[in-house]
Amino acid sequence: MQAKIPETATRKEKILFALRAIVFAVLLAALLSYTLYVLVPKYDYGICSITNLYQQEDDTVDVLVLGTSLAYGGVNTNVLWEEYGIAAYNLCGAEQPYWISYYYLQEALKTQHPQVIVLDAKPATYPDDYSRRGRAFLGTTGIKDPIIRLRALLSSVAPENYASFVAGFPQLHSYYPDVTLDNFAYPPNNGGRGFDWQGYIESTETEVHSKPSLVWSSTKKNVNPRQVEYFRKTVELAQRENIPVMVIGIPNPDYANDHMYYNTLWEVADEYGVPHVNYNDPTNRYGLLYSSCFSDWQHLNVKGSVIFSRKLGADLKEMFPLPDRRLDEGYDAWRNGSEAWYETYPEYLPEKPEEGAPA
Amino acid sequence: MSILSVEFLIFVAAVILLFYLLPKKVRWCVLLLASVGFYLMSGWQGGVYLLAVAVLTWFSARHIGKLRARMDEVLQEENPAAKRKLRHRMRAWLTVCLLLVLGALVFIKYFEPGRIALNAILKFFNNRTQFEAFEVLVPLGLSYFTFQSVGYVVDVYWGKVKAQPNFFKHLLFVSFFPQIMQGPISTYEQLAPQLLAPKAFHPQRMTMGFQLMLWGYFKKLVLADRLASVTNTIAAGGEQQGWLILLGIVLYTIRLYGDFSGGMDVVRGVAMMLGVDLTENFRRPFFSTSVAEYWRRWHISLGTWFRTYVLYPLSISRLGDLLSKIGKKTLGKKAGRMLPGAVATFLIFLLIGMWHTANWNALIFGAYFGVLMGTAMLLEPLFKVIRKKLHITDKTVWWRIFGWGRTMVLILLAQYFACTVSPEQAWTLLQGTFAAWDFAAAEETLTGFMAWREWIIAGGALLIVLLVDILCERKVDVNGRLAKGTFFLRWPVLLVLIMVILIFGYYGEGFDSTAFLYANF
Repeated sequence: MQAKIPETATRKEKILFALRAIVFAVLLAALLSYTLYVLVPKYDYGICSITNLYQQEDDTVDVLVLGTSLAYGGVNTNVLWEEYGIAAYNLCGAEQPYWISYYYLQEALKTQHPQVIVLDAKPATYPDDYSRRGRAFLGTTGIKDPIIRLRALLSSVAPENYASFVAGFPQLHSYYPDVTLDNFAYPPNNGGRGFDWQGYIESTETEVHSKPSLVWSSTKKNVNPRQVEYFRKTVELAQRENIPVMVIGIPNPDYANDHMYYNTLWEVADEYGVPHVNYNDPTNRYGLLYSSCFSDWQHLNVKGSVIFSRKLGADLKEMFPLPDRRLDEGYDAWRNGSEAWYETYPEYLPEKPEEGAPA
Repeated sequence: MSILSVEFLIFVAAVILLFYLLPKKVRWCVLLLASVGFYLMSGWQGGVYLLAVAVLTWFSARHIGKLRARMDEVLQEENPAAKRKLRHRMRAWLTVCLLLVLGALVFIKYFEPGRIALNAILKFFNNRTQFEAFEVLVPLGLSYFTFQSVGYVVDVYWGKVKAQPNFFKHLLFVSFFPQIMQGPISTYEQLAPQLLAPKAFHPQRMTMGFQLMLWGYFKKLVLADRLASVTNTIAAGGEQQGWLILLGIVLYTIRLYGDFSGGMDVVRGVAMMLGVDLTENFRRPFFSTSVAEYWRRWHISLGTWFRTYVLYPLSISRLGDLLSKIGKKTLGKKAGRMLPGAVATFLIFLLIGMWHTANWNALIFGAYFGVLMGTAMLLEPLFKVIRKKLHITDKTVWWRIFGWGRTMVLILLAQYFACTVSPEQAWTLLQGTFAAWDFAAAEETLTGFMAWREWIIAGGALLIVLLVDILCERKVDVNGRLAKGTFFLRWPVLLVLIMVILIFGYYGEGFDSTAFLYANF
């Protein structure tokens, strides 16, 4: 039995319906948006680096690091702070491509005006044109500005997938079995590190590697054109904002292949007059040991990150006029974060240099 | 474009917006453009076929209509010879049209199984000739638009409706996009006037259409597709407990209902928002107390089509008369009168079976129901006497419960053939049902198909569907009441329903969402 629907509606009924429909749509959109946020897995190596950036005081970040897991596991912001007074922030994610770094930079520039941008060279080695499903959401969900978030998402996926990624649910709803109470929290839990965290994620394991029989060559491998496109965009954006850029290759045991892509990237960087340093140079290990400084085949462990960051800090200081912020006001996040970290790893305090540390 | 896709929702929203923004006079043009566009998105080749069917049926109906008009004039003149001549010409036009349109349908649907059968026969007779396979394009919604347009031509022939002079209006009737993929099969009388002069915008209509759509998605995505992987695995056979096979058959039946009726609700919801009320295709079939009633509630539009265009003409044909005479002689007066109807019913169910799929199981499925229904018709006079002696009426509770149980058993029995692809497979499952019933590893077995969480979601969805169906069966207009009710109730219900579909539905990445079982027939 179906109710008889009247043939016509009055003007008032129509207007009321339209208003209600709008309110309903807004309510639904808000609910859907929050539900999508809940469904996205929250990892410190994904969404948390950008959401935690919003917790930092405006214009405090001096060195903004944009890059992959090599960067967030290698650039130890605590060491840079403790030993050089550099206020660095790792705005990084796992396998973060340049298209995400580019939009992260756009978003970061709204609240921060860093004095140096450090770009990880690793994305140059990624062959794919687009991000994988999970990575696309991990990289974009945390961005507050809806327009930048949408652009970042669209840049991450193939055009034929726009509809399902923008709608979100077709891609994300399968995560519902993994949803816990933590998923509802904003900002998301960054592994219990709190707001005084600058994006460094330590790898505590040690994997023993042996020195590879390296073939160091000047061969240039083709870098994915989309990575090059967004690398250029990132550099251009930074230069428009008068922020110097430095491109770095971060140490990993598997460098024989990487450096050939880096050779191509250095050429692009040279076009913009951007300095580049391959810290993965087998001829200059500045104390890094294959036997004790890596956690796996790609990443530095805590010890490795300390050694590498000491070197990076020294170079940054040498190359750019970076202020020592240790006594400045407004840098409690760095002070507290660093203090907490060194409580866990007191052996790396500068007073007690570790074996293999730079002289 | 699948009606489960985001693109479809965007498409529908755009069509609705355009539809109500334009003046009433041209709204049918919006529907036509949308329908043609929608169809062409599935491939231009299918579009060409649809166009050919539309041209042929429009042209035939036009001619038949003209001949009928002349015949009406002749009738007034009382000229039997001219009348006969005109009737013959009308019949010739109708026959040619039906042969071409239905012949093409049969060719497209049965070419491949026919080729395989022919090759098998040739091989059996040691003939080395074998026919090579080649791909025959199956246009989207082939049998739905074929039946609908054929029905229209026959209606014009019978003088039930006037032939449509405007080809584009006819094309809209044939191709109306919400229903083209899986029906319902509407008559010209039901559909065309609504398409050509759609109802005005009304908030209640929009709300009810939207709610119906959501309800359809819920049944399809949350319930039916969740059960699909379970039923497919069980139907595939292998070492299985009897109880598991029976559970699989029950779940398959539920899945089929959720899938098809869910699809229908989406289709009817979209049409409703566009001012068109499509005919109901399902009326809580699992509340039936007889197989006949079940078929009056299941895929109603197909049953109606076969009854209108095959059963009645067959029953009153010369063949029907002959059967009636034979029946009266052999079975007595009362039962004999039923013989033409029983034979026609058997044939119709055979056709319905064949319509489903071109394989032996479909034929057995159809024959099974044909025999059941035909026999029931022949034995009805006897049943009537028995019921009278036992003082059984339609309201006798125990009789209704018995009738319901009997019907469900008979329906479930048929599903053994519906969910499998060969009689051997169906037979193996049937045998297996009555073999071992050991519940020792039941939990492990069930969670092997899907996690408990998924079973709970499926169970919850089934309960909700059952509850709504019970209310509807008790003549409660759930959709209408919700639409007319306060938004303090409606909004939470709708928001929860949307969230449940979006979160727990089987679609998108990570889920094996299945196409509608009755799509592309």
